[in-house]
Amino acid sequence: MTRLYLFVRRYLTVLFLFGAMVGFAQGRTVTGKVTSSDDGSGIPGVNILEKGTSNGTVSDVDGNFSISVGTDATLVFSFVGYVTQEVAVGSQSAVNVSMVSDVTALSEVVVVGYGSQDKKEITGSVVALNTEQFNRGNVNDPRQLLQGKVPGLSIYNRGGNPNSTATFRLRGISTIGSNSQPLIVIDGVLGASLENVDPNDIESINVLKDGSAAAIYGSRGSAGVILVTTKRGAGKNGGTNVEYNGYVAADRAFRRQPVMTASEFIAAGGNDLGAVTDWQDEVTQTGVSNVHNVSLSGGTQKTGFRAAVNFRDVSGVLRKSGFDQVNVRANFNHTALNDKLKMDFGFSTTDRRSDFSFNEALRYAVLFNPTAPVRFDNGEFFQAILFDNFNPVAILEQNINDGKRKSINYSARLDYSILENLTLTMNYGRQFENNFNGTYFSRNSFFVGLNRGLARRFTSESDFTLFEGWATYNKEFGKFNLDVTAGYSYQQDNYEDVFIEASRFQNDDLGYNQLEQSDDFKTGQAIITSTQNPDNKIIAFFGRANLTFDKGIYFNASVRREGSTRLGPNNQWGVFPAFGLGVDITKYVSIPKVDQLKFRAGFGVTGSLPGQNGLAQDLYTFNRNTGNTNFARNANPDLKWEQKEETNIGLDFGLFGKLTGSIDYFVRDIKDFVLERDVDPAVFVSGRRTENVGSLRTSGLEIALNYSAINVGQVTWNPGLVIGTNQTELTSFFNNRFITGNFGSPGQNGTPFNLVEVGQKLGTIWGPVYDGVTSEGKVRFKDLNGDGTIKADAGQALLADADFKKLGRGIPTMELGWTNQLRFKNWDLNVFFRGAFGHSLINSFRGFYEPIDPGAINSYNRIKTDKAVDVETLEEAKYSSLYVEKADFVKLDNITLGYRLSLPSSSVFRNVRFYTTVQNAFLITGYTGIDPEPVLGDPEDNNNALVTGIDRRNTYFAARTFTLGINVGF
Amino acid sequence: MMIMKYNWKLSGLAALVLTVVACTDLDEDLKGDFTSNFTTVSYVRSNVNKLPPNDGLGGAFSRILNGTANHGSYFSVQEVSSDEAVITQKGGDWFDGGIWLRMHRHQFDPQVGGINGAWNDSYGGITQCNSLLASTDPQVSTPAAKAQLRFLRAYFYWRLLDVFGRVKLTTQPLVDVPQSTRLQVYNFVESELLAAIPDLPTAKEEYGRVNQYGAYALLSRLYLNAKVYKGLSSFDNADLDKAIDAADEVINSGLYTLDVNYKDVFDPDNIDAKETIFVAPFDELTGEGMNFAQMTLHYPSQLTFDLRDQPWNGYSTLEEFYNSYDAADARRAQNFIVGPQEDLNGNPILDLAFDPADEDGAEINYTPKINQLQPSGSRQAGARLGKFNFKKGQLPNMDNDYPILRLGEVLLNKAEALHRKGDNSGLALVNQLRARAGVANLASLTDATLLAERGRELFQEALRRTDLIRFGVWGNAWWEKPAHSDPNKNVMPIPVEQINATAGSAFPLTQNPGY
Repeated sequence: MTRLYLFVRRYLTVLFLFGAMVGFAQGRTVTGKVTSSDDGSGIPGVNILEKGTSNGTVSDVDGNFSISVGTDATLVFSFVGYVTQEVAVGSQSAVNVSMVSDVTALSEVVVVGYGSQDKKEITGSVVALNTEQFNRGNVNDPRQLLQGKVPGLSIYNRGGNPNSTATFRLRGISTIGSNSQPLIVIDGVLGASLENVDPNDIESINVLKDGSAAAIYGSRGSAGVILVTTKRGAGKNGGTNVEYNGYVAADRAFRRQPVMTASEFIAAGGNDLGAVTDWQDEVTQTGVSNVHNVSLSGGTQKTGFRAAVNFRDVSGVLRKSGFDQVNVRANFNHTALNDKLKMDFGFSTTDRRSDFSFNEALRYAVLFNPTAPVRFDNGEFFQAILFDNFNPVAILEQNINDGKRKSINYSARLDYSILENLTLTMNYGRQFENNFNGTYFSRNSFFVGLNRGLARRFTSESDFTLFEGWATYNKEFGKFNLDVTAGYSYQQDNYEDVFIEASRFQNDDLGYNQLEQSDDFKTGQAIITSTQNPDNKIIAFFGRANLTFDKGIYFNASVRREGSTRLGPNNQWGVFPAFGLGVDITKYVSIPKVDQLKFRAGFGVTGSLPGQNGLAQDLYTFNRNTGNTNFARNANPDLKWEQKEETNIGLDFGLFGKLTGSIDYFVRDIKDFVLERDVDPAVFVSGRRTENVGSLRTSGLEIALNYSAINVGQVTWNPGLVIGTNQTELTSFFNNRFITGNFGSPGQNGTPFNLVEVGQKLGTIWGPVYDGVTSEGKVRFKDLNGDGTIKADAGQALLADADFKKLGRGIPTMELGWTNQLRFKNWDLNVFFRGAFGHSLINSFRGFYEPIDPGAINSYNRIKTDKAVDVETLEEAKYSSLYVEKADFVKLDNITLGYRLSLPSSSVFRNVRFYTTVQNAFLITGYTGIDPEPVLGDPEDNNNALVTGIDRRNTYFAARTFTLGINVGF
Repeated sequence: MMIMKYNWKLSGLAALVLTVVACTDLDEDLKGDFTSNFTTVSYVRSNVNKLPPNDGLGGAFSRILNGTANHGSYFSVQEVSSDEAVITQKGGDWFDGGIWLRMHRHQFDPQVGGINGAWNDSYGGITQCNSLLASTDPQVSTPAAKAQLRFLRAYFYWRLLDVFGRVKLTTQPLVDVPQSTRLQVYNFVESELLAAIPDLPTAKEEYGRVNQYGAYALLSRLYLNAKVYKGLSSFDNADLDKAIDAADEVINSGLYTLDVNYKDVFDPDNIDAKETIFVAPFDELTGEGMNFAQMTLHYPSQLTFDLRDQPWNGYSTLEEFYNSYDAADARRAQNFIVGPQEDLNGNPILDLAFDPADEDGAEINYTPKINQLQPSGSRQAGARLGKFNFKKGQLPNMDNDYPILRLGEVLLNKAEALHRKGDNSGLALVNQLRARAGVANLASLTDATLLAERGRELFQEALRRTDLIRFGVWGNAWWEKPAHSDPNKNVMPIPVEQINATAGSAFPLTQNPGY
């Protein structure tokens, strides 16, 4: 204790003197080469530091280095994946070092909030992935890089529409009514948009899964934190590297919805309109994509840079869907003032032009009469007035739906080492985004009504500002190492948009580009709306201390005090603490065959904000009907943070020199979750108000294993397994038991299919059980309670004597990823299987169109799957157990074969690799719909997390993708 | 020492940056929405028909547009539960969890179709009235403005009284109150209307507003139904006298006369109708909420009327009800759409998905006969609701103003009150309406003829359910609707959503007896 006190006093003194004690005695030069003990080759980029100083350098491309040192210097050599070595220089002028690779694979430096840590020191649940581990193939969304790779992280982009982004969910449902997307931090800029990063430019992605790791990010860390690090220019001696990555990919519709052929349709009583049309063929295509990435990187010891241009021309399987994108990213870093000042500048811009096409065309392609011609003889489209059914080819050909997105980001970061142990950091980032969406429905289109031409233009603009400053203090004393960080964070975002809709045009010539032609302006029918958000701000003060004892016991604590403009005036500020403990057991106890065993435990509190502004204030809106500004929404001045408390216990291990892995168990309680709810309309004007209404508890187990199965000569096989399982229970809610979801039109409005009940797990699919068909062709439901009366109408679902039961779960109970990396000489093979289990999907195509009464056969083609029952007799489409299908699946998600050319040392190329990838190579599932991936939130209800398991009809068709690519470096 | 100085400066600068820039201001200034401080925007948009007054009351009075003539709210509850309208299940269409079939069969439960909409739309009007009544804005604080608002609130409470009975009588913003009995609600509606009358104008009402005679017209309806609302076993002559007196106030005002043509009361340009006393001023642009074309027409009828949006093929009338009209009755021609349908060029319109079993084939022909209620109601069966004429090229929202109160009903109210007192002098009033419709006079009045006459005259005006209950025939059987004798069914259940929304509050709602 006395010793600690002395240390503290001494370094407080140091703090006050600000570096007066720092010496810069520098004398002679030492040179040498760093090699790998594996094969004797030089290792570039090794950090070489004179111990006890900030004097250091980095080895060059061949592993050579040169450094000026003082007398009695000790050099510390460190590099990712190798054991750090210390060498006393003594009187030597040349020091050659052979570095040993670190088999435990636990020595990586991992980026965490406001800094980085050696992986050993991490006490929370953090998963770090680099380019080696990313998903390959035609990947256009950075989220897809992670799919199946992180236990507990669910990522689904159902169907794989190139213009839509994947749903992200970390450790199950983190919230119901507020923002459920993880916080994205790109190169230290939190709140940045993943849309502005090209997957090619990403060096690594770290996922902070548990509350203790994420709490330093406070209110926005509830759904987890994804830290993205883009590639940097290595600070080597001279030399500029050029990398080219390019590929061509072809997407083909992988599964279709089986329907009757024209002849089957006629035999079933359908009206023969004289043609034979395969509508699903008519609206799909082989989508060919071209992707090119060129980067320049390099630098000197002091300066590094990287600039990259990414070009993507992507087409999806739905005709006319795709985008063109150009993304430019540049980073520049420099070290100055005797290496005390580090400067890092980043810039990126993205320009995307999308053709969104119309997903509805896929739905109507399934349903449209297979005997209808695409066009009449006179060339005009076949169009008929049918309820909710339109010629899908006409939809694509007659109408326009496109968009543009432009974004610019820049960031600047300065680190200054005031003292040997004290660094001040300032981080500033800005992000701008412009969006445009234009749609035009031509005069002859039936699709959205007889509008005689309908144009819509939507433009939005948003910007985001981040300013952060923090200080980091690090000191080793005796067996202790203390690392303290404290700082301030300011985030502000603004948003505005304009929407115009006008119809009735004299011609289609100019589409949405000549709104003034619209007759709506004569009659006042045009719709114009504009919105602007307030200066939405989040302000925080944060601090963290990491204490390491004996390089074997790790303790950390952090706290963030954060405030938001979105909350009630009395509840704007929240405090988010976290604690973590890690013990390297193998350091203290020797267990046979156990190379590494580390215990981790963490507890952390994070928050989540409501998704809207202004909820704490009374709201008045202008009403077009009245010309008046009317009271529209009651304030909730008591609105407060949704709070998440999470406990995580984990074990990292290495066994037999071959197997490494980790196991994490977590329990998380979400309190006061934010939701817009029905309130008494006799008291509150709108009858709806956003309140803190309930709590959730999620618990789960996550396992990651890596095995060095074969490592013989030039053959290696490293399988890896990732398993995540979690379940969320509703622990309290204002409404004890209710049903939600709506099956929909035609005929099945007011038909909910999810039961939500306090004390039960979320995701219950609820409904009546099919029990055969009556002589009149009606559905007979099962008398589940045996009381002799059948109450199976949707509206009766909650009655005490209702004949309803749990029919499945909308949310998987287990998700699995199985990676296999094989190498043989110059060949590499990556085989990745992914699966999800325990979930069901309600096949809504079947639920509407499998049994069709004879009167409706002509409205829609009939769905034909092997799950159909009573095909000849059943004439009534009603939601029931019949349409709830188990959707467990395993797919060969990705298989990549690569070949690296053996290049002579005289070659101008550093590396050349060819590869080919197949995504969605095969699928094993019992599900009869288009895509068995789970639906975690209803896409027709803003992805409402309470409405799960409904496979809607507008689902984009999943694609199988073949990619042929090349990586070249010189 | 140079280094030390240098570091001092830099860290001083950093500290300065951190403290000065460390803003902690979290006031939320909504730039795109009006909150507590704003200049009241109050101007009148040009209604295609006529200008409502710029009196600051539009926010409350426009609430009458909600649920009055669209699907899933008050109109649906009043109509689909009655014998004048039905939504058949048309194969895969319109089952909707059985909520409309159960409504038709009087299998009411807390989730049955439309009741939650009716509840919310009524309270939506009530809370707007409450907030304007609490306002200190001089424009809406005058006795005249307050009288308008109290009338309007009383009207919405009348709806709740009629449909649900036991509701909360909230009168101030954000002040919760316990659920009242049906009698308390009745008394409140009566007293509010009486209190409003002195400050209401005696001159012809302004467009979309009321005068004293609007209050009297509503009182005549209220008193006529007093037996039901008060839970009496028989009609009380005192109430009937009050109903007659209130009706007389309207009739004798000299402001209202029957229009020459029945049609003129309901046309898209019915602003000059002479018999309307209080209207919901619908407008396709500035008074949205009348969707009859969507609700009733078959999909291809889009081509007959050049409708912008596709219709939904939902509502039709019952064959028996259609047949209650004489073929010569002008009201039958006005109230229903039957027969073969054509497009703008006179060609038959086709349902290309027609049922091969349907003898009418692809050419659309609306027949009064309906083959079945469910599951395979023919898509072109049933006379369609056409009282409010469709305009060619119409937007999803219609232009026709909807009479909430009109002289025709007031005459029938008086005739019925007289009849219930044993006085036959109301016959002439009924015959006035029959004469206009071009049908022969009735010789005498009975309960049955009065109910049938009210049905023919007031079809599609959302009064049928109230009438059937008052005439004691609510439990009778009609097409695809079994008989019952359950008095609890005279009111609807409190919607499950409302029970849930108030659970845990100071005054949770309790369910009506029998549900």
